[in-house]
Amino acid sequence: MRDTFRGGVHPRERKDLSREAALRVFDAKGEMVFPLAQHIGKPAKAIVKKGDPVLVGQRIAEADGFVSAHVICSCSGTVKAVEKRRTISGAMQECIVVDNDGLYTATGDVLDTPLPVDVVTNEEILQAVKDAGIIGLGGAGFPTHVKLAPKEPLAIKYLIANGAECEPYLTCNDQLMRGYAKEIVDGMEVVLKLFPNAQGVIAIENNKPEAIAAMKRAAAGHNRIRVMGLRTKYPQGGERSLIKVIAGVDYPITKLPADVGCIVDNVGTIYAIGRAALYHEPLFRHVLTVTGEAVKEPSNFIVRDGTSFQELIEAAGGIKDGVEAAKIISGGPMMGIAVSTTEVPITKTTNAITVLSSDPVEKADRQMTACLHCGRCTTVCPNGLMPQMMADAVAAGDYERYEKKLYGLDCISCGSCTYICPAKRPLTQTFKQTKAEIMARKRAAQGGQK
Amino acid sequence: MSQQLHLSAGPHVRDRWTTPFIMMIVLLALLPTAVIGVVVNGLNALWIILASIGAAVLTELLFCLVTRRKITIFDGSAAVTGMLLALCLSPNTPVILPVVGSVFAILVVKCCFGGLGKNFINPALAARCFLLLSFSNGMTNYPVDAVSGATPIAALKAGSMVNVTSMFLGTAGGVIGGSIVALLIGGLVLWGLDVIHGEICFSVIGGFTLCLALFGGHGFDPAYLAAQLCGGGVVMGAFFMATDYTTSPVSRLGQLVYGCLIGVLGALFRIFGKSADSFSYSIIIANLFTPLIDLYIVPKPYAYRKRAIDKAAGVVKPPLYKRIPKPVIALTIIAALAGLALSGVFSMTKGPIEANEEKKQQASFRIVCEDAVDFEQLEVRDGTNYGSGKFGSTTIEQALRAVGANGETAGYVLVISNRNAYNPPIKLALGVDPEGRVNRISFIEINETPGKGSLADESKFKDQFSGKLADSFVLNGTGEDGIDAISGATVTTKAVLNAVNAGLDFFRNVIMGGGN
Repeated sequence: MRDTFRGGVHPRERKDLSREAALRVFDAKGEMVFPLAQHIGKPAKAIVKKGDPVLVGQRIAEADGFVSAHVICSCSGTVKAVEKRRTISGAMQECIVVDNDGLYTATGDVLDTPLPVDVVTNEEILQAVKDAGIIGLGGAGFPTHVKLAPKEPLAIKYLIANGAECEPYLTCNDQLMRGYAKEIVDGMEVVLKLFPNAQGVIAIENNKPEAIAAMKRAAAGHNRIRVMGLRTKYPQGGERSLIKVIAGVDYPITKLPADVGCIVDNVGTIYAIGRAALYHEPLFRHVLTVTGEAVKEPSNFIVRDGTSFQELIEAAGGIKDGVEAAKIISGGPMMGIAVSTTEVPITKTTNAITVLSSDPVEKADRQMTACLHCGRCTTVCPNGLMPQMMADAVAAGDYERYEKKLYGLDCISCGSCTYICPAKRPLTQTFKQTKAEIMARKRAAQGGQK
Repeated sequence: MSQQLHLSAGPHVRDRWTTPFIMMIVLLALLPTAVIGVVVNGLNALWIILASIGAAVLTELLFCLVTRRKITIFDGSAAVTGMLLALCLSPNTPVILPVVGSVFAILVVKCCFGGLGKNFINPALAARCFLLLSFSNGMTNYPVDAVSGATPIAALKAGSMVNVTSMFLGTAGGVIGGSIVALLIGGLVLWGLDVIHGEICFSVIGGFTLCLALFGGHGFDPAYLAAQLCGGGVVMGAFFMATDYTTSPVSRLGQLVYGCLIGVLGALFRIFGKSADSFSYSIIIANLFTPLIDLYIVPKPYAYRKRAIDKAAGVVKPPLYKRIPKPVIALTIIAALAGLALSGVFSMTKGPIEANEEKKQQASFRIVCEDAVDFEQLEVRDGTNYGSGKFGSTTIEQALRAVGANGETAGYVLVISNRNAYNPPIKLALGVDPEGRVNRISFIEINETPGKGSLADESKFKDQFSGKLADSFVLNGTGEDGIDAISGATVTTKAVLNAVNAGLDFFRNVIMGGGN
């Protein structure tokens, strides 16, 4: 069986900075900010107002519709405001701001002893996942209770726990798998209950031998779960790359993994599902790496949602003396988002804060030349797209060719083409904009017909 | 944290490879070739290389300054163009030519079309062809092989064999960048480093070799193929010119099509064309096809390919060999075998054909000199263009003494060819007795118009010569030495007459007069 997909790139991993830092629980001191739109789909609706007392694990915003998710409070205190605050994307978004009393008084709904897996029914599992406000922690933030309820659960052949962690710098899932292997396997057992015909695969890149060993130990004796080592290559942890390797299937952007018989969830999500189904614990904290050349003590934390970037960077020792933070990225350097200020809160999907001491993009902008047509981008695209031709089509304004002939909407914005480009062209950025433009035009066309 | 943070779209890390880095690798890959070129050809080669690179870089700099664009000379592409141009020039070229060529390459072909990545044909090749057409004297002044007096490809064209080893090493003359071994090393390194696409260079070489083997008339003769591959810029073209990013297709399939197009065109030009520089033109023609190839050959993303769709739909296909109809397999095998057999026929029949020719000649000798039991080859000096035009374009090819039953001289046989016939050449054997009386003539080769010139081979015409003693025969003469022309084929008659007269002249003046 092959251990990787076609294409891909090998950015410098830099996981050495934080890979041996064991998970530490970090409890924030300052105010906590909870954006209402942390997930894909409709933003949640706030169900608390200014002055309300709140507890750890309390639902403070309710899912609005099916594709939406609850927001859970991660501290105790009083609601300071429900107002627009700056978030990771840079935009001002509606947020619930909680004045943290530092006591972390819990609601008391969490069970002390777990329920046995065989007792819990499928309906209870899905309800628990929804109540816990779980969304995909890999980055996209798709509501998990939607993902776990495909049209044909019996057609699901693979449940893939994504522990690849292919983003450079990131190590929190590595540490999670090392420290909480049993809990992840429990989560797998819970999800596998929903899909009786599925085989559980825990997929981990080969650069994490300790995590592979830990998961293998924990999965021993579970005959529906196996651990698979994958070649270290970005974007190995992409949903499509994993499905390509494990199920051997390529599928177009218009389809979901469930359409080809796969469910892919981040190991963090699987862990959260297990906690939610067996302990009734809602999702209000998760693992996160604070790393980068500019950070004094790169660390892996278990953090509470709503904590500010500033507090977490300080928790990791702050910025190194004599070094300036040139760029702060929410997430890893390949798909992460650069933030303009550290006064923004982490959300459920924030899996890293990467602080770079120099900005490679600034250097790249200086090195930019015209496209050579060297074709390196076409060899690294994990989907077999032709980024170079797509860029030419965009430059020529030929959106028809971009969409129909070049399948430009299938771009997953993994950034491999931009990474490899010797001419330093901002390809991924161009495609993101073009996709948005084409979608906007389509919506406008549909609106015109109505 | 008070300082400004950088904001940009991801990815936030980049590969180390940059445009100047790639250009530097290409320059380094060309360096061994350049060094060997200078060592073999002397300092003039160095001046040419330096002048070419310098002119290219300077032209781009001036263009950027005049048009107020960003200075782009540091991306290294101008230097690569200059280097490539210099390496495909003769070391005897006046230094002004590479300068003119570089200016043309950079200014007209590159900058005027939008600079790096926008040129529609390879600038270095365009400049080379521009120089070839405009300054053909200066450009074709190659250092030549002292023995054959021609560049290897010209010699090959003329049918003689060349020293492949010296071509391989680069000591055979021709262009500065003529060292095949150095070019191969550089090209393979580039391929190994993924700088150039193997799809292109190997399909160029493959297409070229296959086409030459099938249509070159020498079959899979390794010596012939090696000589063709080593000469005329095939290796340079395949690895350094055809692989130019901008002017080659993007998709792998497109690259294969493009490479094969170059290879096949190059081979056809070699076989049927006149110019030894045909490979440059075949690359330029393929360059011009590149936009068309890129427009139509666009690979689908993996998910949209038929295999992926079938797999997602759960369609199980029988293995490939079971899906191909049996007749197709059979026909393919038959075609392959037939192809192999045909291409092998040439080398196998070469010997028998020659033997056959020899037999035919021997038979002619017997016809023109019945009394002989054996023939003794005489040395022919200055037989080519015998009489310096007095007999038209006539060549005394062989002279033989006919030996009688008792060892006496029974006569002489001359093999004469003439190129003034209607459909030349005419080749005949002329037999004379020891006194110089014509015994008989017999044609070895005659391709004249059937019913007209071909009547020369009838005894009615041929017998006019028999038994006559003449200094030279006269067309439509009335005397003993008069020969009646074949009606409607005066040209043929004259050609035959010239051949016979030349033979008689040779007999009297060289064989008899020369004391032979």
